Amino acid sequence: MTLAMTALGGLAAAATFFVCGPQRFWANWLVWMLMLLSAGLGALFLTALEHLTGARWSVPLRRSAERVSGLLVPACAAAVLALFALPVLYPWAGPEAAHHPLIAAKAGWLNVPFFAARALACAALWLVSWRVFAGGSLRQDRSRDAALSERARRYAPFFMVVMGLTTLVVAFDWVSSLSPEWYSDVIGVYLFAGSFLAGLAAVTLTVGHLKERGRLTELRFDHVYSLGAWLFAFTVFWSYIAFAQYLLMWYADLPEEVFWYAQRSRGAWRGVSLALGLLHFVIPFFALLPRDAKGDLRRLRWVAALVLGAHFLDLYWLVFPVLGARPPFSWPELGFAGFFIGVSLLWMRRALRQGADMPVGDPGLAEGLAFKL
Amino acid sequence: MAEGRAFGVLGLFSDPALLLAAVPKLRARGLGRVQAYTPYPVHGLGEALGLRRSPLGGMVLVMGLLGTATAFLFQWWMNSVDYPLFTGGKDPSSWQAFVPIMFEVTVLFATFTAGLGMLVLLNKLPAFWHPFLDSEASRAATRDRFALAIEAEGEVFDAAAAEAALMVVGAGSIEVLPGLPPPRRVPLETLLGLAAGGAVACCLAGAAMYWGVKLFPVLPPMSHMLAQPRLDAQQRGRRAPAEGSVARGRLPYPFEKPEQARGLGNPLPRTEEVLRLGRKVFAHNCLICHGPLADGTPILTAAYGGRPANLQSRKYLGLSDGEIYHTIMKGENAMPRLGDGFTEDERWAVIHYIRALQRAQHAKDGDL
Ligand code: HEC
Repeated sequence: MTLAMTALGGLAAAATFFVCGPQRFWANWLVWMLMLLSAGLGALFLTALEHLTGARWSVPLRRSAERVSGLLVPACAAAVLALFALPVLYPWAGPEAAHHPLIAAKAGWLNVPFFAARALACAALWLVSWRVFAGGSLRQDRSRDAALSERARRYAPFFMVVMGLTTLVVAFDWVSSLSPEWYSDVIGVYLFAGSFLAGLAAVTLTVGHLKERGRLTELRFDHVYSLGAWLFAFTVFWSYIAFAQYLLMWYADLPEEVFWYAQRSRGAWRGVSLALGLLHFVIPFFALLPRDAKGDLRRLRWVAALVLGAHFLDLYWLVFPVLGARPPFSWPELGFAGFFIGVSLLWMRRALRQGADMPVGDPGLAEGLAFKL
Repeated sequence: MAEGRAFGVLGLFSDPALLLAAVPKLRARGLGRVQAYTPYPVHGLGEALGLRRSPLGGMVLVMGLLGTATAFLFQWWMNSVDYPLFTGGKDPSSWQAFVPIMFEVTVLFATFTAGLGMLVLLNKLPAFWHPFLDSEASRAATRDRFALAIEAEGEVFDAAAAEAALMVVGAGSIEVLPGLPPPRRVPLETLLGLAAGGAVACCLAGAAMYWGVKLFPVLPPMSHMLAQPRLDAQQRGRRAPAEGSVARGRLPYPFEKPEQARGLGNPLPRTEEVLRLGRKVFAHNCLICHGPLADGTPILTAAYGGRPANLQSRKYLGLSDGEIYHTIMKGENAMPRLGDGFTEDERWAVIHYIRALQRAQHAKDGDL
């Protein structure tokens, strides 16, 4: 089934290129590249956070996070291919950029060779980090070697710096340079918030799936509740950052900033912006507010699916306005969704067969299982 | 043992795990209510004690939402109904500007409900005495020991059985908590000392006030906005555009004298849309000086000084559209030159609107 969906989606995606033109194709590609990337990075961040802080509650969940972080591999492949989108989507890579004084002034940062070098460096750093955390953890399953935990613990602070800088690069490069005149200092934090949220949601879905199959039986209310609490906290954090960015630009009303929001608050985009507020904040906030909702995996899965959907909408809202005043959504978008969701599911299916469902070699697992709120 | 019925019996544990293990055993005996006193929250204790879900969450939610609504209504009424002030060319009822305050007030209401609700409703404060506070164990249990008490519930309480039960589950330093506070008398010296201290404090404060007011000059009220060492932020009217510059989309204005402009005609039709635009321009720019009816009764205080024209007076009813246009573009004595800030349409639309105001005040029979 998944295979058929992927194949069909891939066909539709390829057809997009020829029927609707390269612009629409690469815009879709970019959104889905960012989607896989943010879920993978978010999950890797959760893993690293555990090593950094010595948290115990999340040890039984960590393998799921490590598996989700494997999405970084297809994401990096997609990112490398997305370099072909530069002349199509990014005005600064076009010939007319030299005549635009604002863009020309940024040419030191926004030029194709440097951009590609940054993108490749980021991808390399992510893959190395993924190998250290997820690969080391898998090896520990067999070797039960506590030194591997120690290695992850030492690497974690370094990863935090990597995560911060690379998220910033992704935000400045892939997202905000779509409108190169625009700048927002907080866009990196914004993307980080969305990314961690997407990672948490994907981990929640994975845990829910495993639990439904009768795996991860030792996982209790207390663990699930903590995961739900993270989701809740970052729903609020994302909203806080998103609104902070909007409020400042709206108030200051400077032409080089506010045009970005003007694009997104006119015509049909206004509806998309409102939907984003509703789906990314209001609904998940109230859905996660009650205590029972955070601890009940079946309810949590619905919210996590909603959060992932809202995150997609968020990326769509970030990228697609460059195509014009009308938000396009029809078979090409569905095709891309089918293809990339299919690829992710196939990838996850493979990952779910590797190693145990919990990091059985981790010395902290017993304490993690005994965790009580 | 203290006289009267005991409040309960208490024992100490050295380890939270022992305490946790003891709770279900004691609860199963049904000797009384089992209560724990620990120096920090012990994971899983609430569940073991069978504490009911706190009602605070619901209260906090309701009060938080009430805070959101209060802040919204408060700001909305103030800013867009009672006293609309236009700043930065923004609609005074813009919801965006209200959000930070809404957020703060939500948090304020919610945290106060949580804090006070916990102290007053759940912890039953103010309580001036609790048997636990007088016990030997209270010292240990605020440091490094974990206390478990079996407290009297209902009429019968078998203190001896409770003692035995605690002993069985491994508690040490068992103690019986008295049911009534020990009689206390405040010594006379303490009362006298308090009175004397209070009197001295009052005298000192009074003297400090007296000499403070005498010695230090009266401070002027704050007037930072007026006395700042830069361009006066409160200056009247807009700053003129730079010499010789022409704003994009605006034509330079050629006339120097009102007579030259007299012949200009209003190019805009008198449609509802135009009047609505005119009303907006008027409300944002002219109303503050000329008054809502353009009859020269300003909203500004007398400190403003100027006497805005009563555009309803005979003299100004006779002005042609072109002359009003000239006033907007060039200003007139105390009337600032505002036109540079408007588009061509806005200038003519506000003239339509002033005409409508004049017509409304001087309606003819045929208008009815
Ligand atoms: C800062 C206060 C202020 C504001 C704002 C203001 N006016 Fe005036 N206006 C005045 C004063 C004062 C006069 C009287 C000038 C005089 O003749 O000495 C005046 C006079 C006038 C006159 C008569 C001028 C004449 O020919 O004698 C017109 C017409 C007029 N204003 C229109 C407007 C319009 C339209 C606006 C809004 C776009 C406006 N005013 C905004 C203060 C103001």
